[in-house]
Amino acid sequence: MKNNKRYAMLIDLRKCVGCHTCSVACKAENSFPVGVFASWVKIIEKGKFPHVSRSFLPLSCNNCEKPICLTNCPVKATWKREDGIVMIDQHRCIGCKYCIASCPYDARFVNPLKKYVQKCTFCHHRVDVGLVPACVETCIGRARIFGDINDPNSLISQTISTNPVNVIKPEMGTEPRVFYVGLDLDAADPIKVWKVLED
Amino acid sequence: MDIQVIYNTPYYIPLGIFIATYFYLTGISAGSFVISAVTVLGGKKEYKSIGKIGSILAPVSLLIAPIFLLIDLEQPMRFWHLYIYLQMTSPITYGTFLLSAYPLNGVLYAWALFANKEKTAKILGITGIPLAICTHGYTGFILALGKGRPLWSTALMPTLFIVSAMVSGIALVILIASFNNFFFTKRKDVEKAEQEKKLILNLGKFMGATIVADLFLILNDILVLLTSKTEEYHVAQLLLFGEFKFLFLGIEIFLGSIVPLFVVFFPKTGQTLRGNVFASLLVMIGVFAMRLTVVYAGQSVPLH
Ligand code: SF4
Ligand code: SF4
Repeated sequence: MKNNKRYAMLIDLRKCVGCHTCSVACKAENSFPVGVFASWVKIIEKGKFPHVSRSFLPLSCNNCEKPICLTNCPVKATWKREDGIVMIDQHRCIGCKYCIASCPYDARFVNPLKKYVQKCTFCHHRVDVGLVPACVETCIGRARIFGDINDPNSLISQTISTNPVNVIKPEMGTEPRVFYVGLDLDAADPIKVWKVLED
Repeated sequence: MDIQVIYNTPYYIPLGIFIATYFYLTGISAGSFVISAVTVLGGKKEYKSIGKIGSILAPVSLLIAPIFLLIDLEQPMRFWHLYIYLQMTSPITYGTFLLSAYPLNGVLYAWALFANKEKTAKILGITGIPLAICTHGYTGFILALGKGRPLWSTALMPTLFIVSAMVSGIALVILIASFNNFFFTKRKDVEKAEQEKKLILNLGKFMGATIVADLFLILNDILVLLTSKTEEYHVAQLLLFGEFKFLFLGIEIFLGSIVPLFVVFFPKTGQTLRGNVFASLLVMIGVFAMRLTVVYAGQSVPLH
């Protein structure tokens, strides 16, 4: 293996205050147009007063180890870097939207101005010059940690080893590379949230 | 437990009516080709008119079908990428080659039939059947590999698509054959018209049999969905009691399968051309409703 790096993100939900700074930073950094989101924070409220709580769940592409979007992209516009970041070649994407339909996390979208598919790439342009992704940089609670999970000395490896972590929809077998500490079951369940909206 | 959603991003449905129409057209094409090839390979002279009708319908519907795929692309001018950048794990990649080879085979086959080249037609019929089945079967794989979507990611999908393709293909052949019989053959040659009519009635029975197979598969699918995981259960609820109950239960199952089944097997209506034409029309509508339901309901359960 030439490059042993495996970039991943960890979001410590105990520190997240639901301020949406990450969503804003993501939009500004990548110039994503209005109406589409590569990174967003879902917020739910549970319980009856006075026993109530609010849960925040920042979501984005998980840059999966086994991305189904890559398996299904017919023109290899979706590809994986050696460090594990899942990329989309904007000159090659034909916009068939099959990847959007097959991603279990709803992480992709068609850029309405540029007419090709985009998603979170851990700000690969920043990572390449030694910076962390914009959302990590701006997170006011320092809830986000970005780093190489193959390096046992990195902060992210140490945090993962010493905390109970979780990923979203592990049953999909895509091996997500965004980990959560303190993930709330109800916030992570799209069906429950959807049912609430339906009623 | 009280749960309230304070904020979430909107939820989009990426694939829509163009894709459903595309599935519908390839289905018709595959079904009518198989019927045509089977009648030609069976070798009976009187079957030939049916064989010819199928041989025309197959390439024509398949030449229209990719247009829908093309206009659904965000970058239609880049469609040629499909031919040079190959991702062999993607069903769309192998579909591209099937979609190119199959109409070619179909056009040659139709030509051979009309030019009375029996042998060539038979050979092309034999090569065409697996091509036709794959061309439609792969569309089922497209959905089956959409692993996040509970309605789609079942091993049943390709078979379900192929069977419903047969249903709709036969229905269209019956429609055109009856039209031909009523307006052309009957005026020229009454005896031949009678023979043809018998054939059409037989086709109607065959259509009935494929409808039964289709219903059986759908029943399997729904039963398993209902007792499977949460997402699966909710998709089944959507189909049976939710947003899609009219399209699914009303049009696809009742109007598109049960009524035609009754019409073709009930002696009074099943023995008339009119009855068969009516049943076929309903079937054509029902199968389109099936395509719509699968595409839309499959994407209607949110993922985040
Ligand atoms: S989250 Fe979705 S888009 Fe991102 S790598 Fe995984 S499957 Fe692909
Ligand atoms: S929309 Fe683009 S990235 Fe997605 S599967 Fe199609 S070609 Fe690949």
